[in-house]
Amino acid sequence: MTAPDTIVKAEDIHKSFGTVEVLKGISLEARNHDVISILGSSGSGKSTFLRCLNFLETPTSGKVTVHGEEILVRNGKPQNARHIEAIRARLGMVFQQFNLWTHRTVLENVMEGPVQVKGESKAEARDRAEMLLRRVGLQERMQMYPAQLSGGQQQRVAIARALAMEPDAILFDEPTSALDPELVGEVLKVMQDLAAEGSTMIVVTHEMGFAREVSSEVVFLHEGRIAEQGPPEEMFTNPKTDEFRRFIAKAM
Amino acid sequence: MNSLEILVQYWPRLLDGTLMTIKLTLMGALIAAAVSPMLALVRVHAAPMAQAPLRIYVSFMRGTPILAQLFLIFYGSGQFRPFLQEWGLWNFFRDPFNCALLAFALNSTAYQTEILRGGILGVPRGEIEAAKAIGLNRLKTLRRVVFPHAYRIAWPALGNEVILLMKASALASVVTVFDLMGRTRQVFSKTFDFSVYLWAALIYLCITAIFVLLWRQAERRLSRHTGARHTPQATAQPLKETRA
Repeated sequence: MTAPDTIVKAEDIHKSFGTVEVLKGISLEARNHDVISILGSSGSGKSTFLRCLNFLETPTSGKVTVHGEEILVRNGKPQNARHIEAIRARLGMVFQQFNLWTHRTVLENVMEGPVQVKGESKAEARDRAEMLLRRVGLQERMQMYPAQLSGGQQQRVAIARALAMEPDAILFDEPTSALDPELVGEVLKVMQDLAAEGSTMIVVTHEMGFAREVSSEVVFLHEGRIAEQGPPEEMFTNPKTDEFRRFIAKAM
Repeated sequence: MNSLEILVQYWPRLLDGTLMTIKLTLMGALIAAAVSPMLALVRVHAAPMAQAPLRIYVSFMRGTPILAQLFLIFYGSGQFRPFLQEWGLWNFFRDPFNCALLAFALNSTAYQTEILRGGILGVPRGEIEAAKAIGLNRLKTLRRVVFPHAYRIAWPALGNEVILLMKASALASVVTVFDLMGRTRQVFSKTFDFSVYLWAALIYLCITAIFVLLWRQAERRLSRHTGARHTPQATAQPLKETRA
């Protein structure tokens, strides 16, 4: 049963690379305003799972539903592949390596999706892009190219780029892992603000502080399965599995 | 007659030949530029079996002298005249200019395809993923992200290719096209003064120099996002085998 305010729903996602099964049946549901942190040691499949949600990786099998658009995958073949672009347009994505288009200015990066995917007018897209860039504190940098910005600034542009599509939910793939330690804070601050404003977010992260303080739900992946799942305060104060206990002991 | 008098007397012919050389080179390079992006995509994405004919074509064009290719088309078409007439193609092949243009376009297509393939392979993976993730379709991803990067990466090598093609175009004179080299040979056979070849060489050099300047300007524009300190490589880089 899908609750009416469910935004993203993944059911029994399996993913194999060759003979290695990376995801062994993961289900997850994100409702409106949920902030879900996905934790796990490297190799646990957390990034792969996130990338399966917008089909940057095609699952081997499973079902992904985003805002009523449903894609069923059997034997690595999506059954209604033409929904993929629609799903992607509804899910923002923020990458570990930012992945800004380096040949376009900051403003052009943020305008690209609304103009090219949604067919908005340039004036309309520009207004919102400027508003969003002000919101992430980069109004001074709009005409610059990504190469002229610091990592933290680039990641804030990437968040603005995702927001410009007015997505139903935003996927974050280790958004602070490539940043110098002193730049992590400015990105986390923006994400925290988004969460406070009620954005739906699914965040793969190593930031325990963020998982604990900001998220509404924590999912711990271990060897391709969900080992533990629940509200953060309960999970962190009273871990049920040995794996998660060891994981937080190492991380803290 | 001294060498200056040669120029004074025969400059209209040399100018005519120069224009023909430029026309032949530009048309050949542009036809190749129109076809090569598609072929480069096939080279990058198609299954190995599907691209086998393309690979054979490319290695033939790169592995045989361009003069041999020109003769194959020019004399070969004569052999097949009845057949070509039947198909209504004889009018095309009868003109040596068309034969030369076809040979150069086919040759340059092979080179440009391989150069662009390298450019496409050099496009940052993450930027393509970002385009997909935002919902851009395949065509727009190519147009907005892949090719802008691929052309910037391939630009110096493409310029080099056009210069090589321009120099190779002198071979057209062998099949009676009156390009710059053809006109020069004509003047020489009248005057027996070798200095006309010096003038021809000088004109070729001027064309190349002007082209390099324009190409570098374009490269600066294409690379402006990489930062102001960037100075483009000379267009003659990287070195490639010369053709004859």
